[in-house]
Amino acid sequence: MTGVISGGGQWAYVAAAYALTALLTGGVLWYSWRAMAKAEKRSDALRADSRRGGAPRGNRK
Amino acid sequence: MHAYANPTRFLAIAKPLTPWLLGVGLLLLLAGAWAGLTQVPGDYKQGETARILYVHVPSAWLGMGGWTSLAIAGLVQLVWRHPLAGIAARAIAVPGMLFTALCLATGSIWGKPTWGTWWEWDGRMTSMLVLLFLYAGFIALTSGDEGQRQGGTLSRGAAIYALVGAINIPIINRSVVWWNSLHQGPSITLRGSSIDGALLWPLGLTVLGFSLLFGAIVLMRMRRIIADNRVAARLRRLADDEGA
Repeated sequence: MTGVISGGGQWAYVAAAYALTALLTGGVLWYSWRAMAKAEKRSDALRADSRRGGAPRGNRK
Repeated sequence: MHAYANPTRFLAIAKPLTPWLLGVGLLLLLAGAWAGLTQVPGDYKQGETARILYVHVPSAWLGMGGWTSLAIAGLVQLVWRHPLAGIAARAIAVPGMLFTALCLATGSIWGKPTWGTWWEWDGRMTSMLVLLFLYAGFIALTSGDEGQRQGGTLSRGAAIYALVGAINIPIINRSVVWWNSLHQGPSITLRGSSIDGALLWPLGLTVLGFSLLFGAIVLMRMRRIIADNRVAARLRRLADDEGA
């Protein structure tokens, strides 16, 4: 007896658990990386503009 | 600890550390998942579904560990007013909630073929669900609040909420002992493990791999908050200069 569902059917549950974990973890990793890179790029650009004495990039009209 | 209260000093460590945590974490995780799926035998009772252990246990560990860290950050913010503590607590909340949700989802997927049900209102599962709601409450409490606009610090209410929520952590841990449960009892304790060594070693790899990835996510989110704070501060200064 191997669980309520036995045999090859068990692999579908294993695959679902691993796929869900990979998808959600990968999604949060990617989103966090993208948000960080974007924020740091903006901060660096603003600092460089301030040093040059100009109006901040992205805020010019 | 206060030596690292300066965000510039913190970033000098966090910037080189982030890719290392990410790279080593992914390597360990892939090695552990590969070993768990292909190199170890199925369990003699549960068969192949026992392989879900290698993603379920690290998720549980990080969901609970995440809230413990969040509560410590809340305490540090309340007592010492460490400027990075609030930022750390905010950064921990989303990955903590992610791993709690993954713990519940993978546990449910494991439960169906093993117990014949997706869900049971027993002590372990219910207290873990309470943890998920606690994370959701913390995120709702700290999104768009005054602290977020003032450098990412936590409000007094959010810090106390984090501390009070920590009561749930020992309840989750002891739930399988206190209540008769569908969930198995504690398998890994300080006295040893009831899981055979042949099945245990990939778990070490995935727990370490997921923990490093969790650390990388927290550092990335902290760096984002610090960068946003700097942009906001600079824009305020520019507006003041133009107004003067």
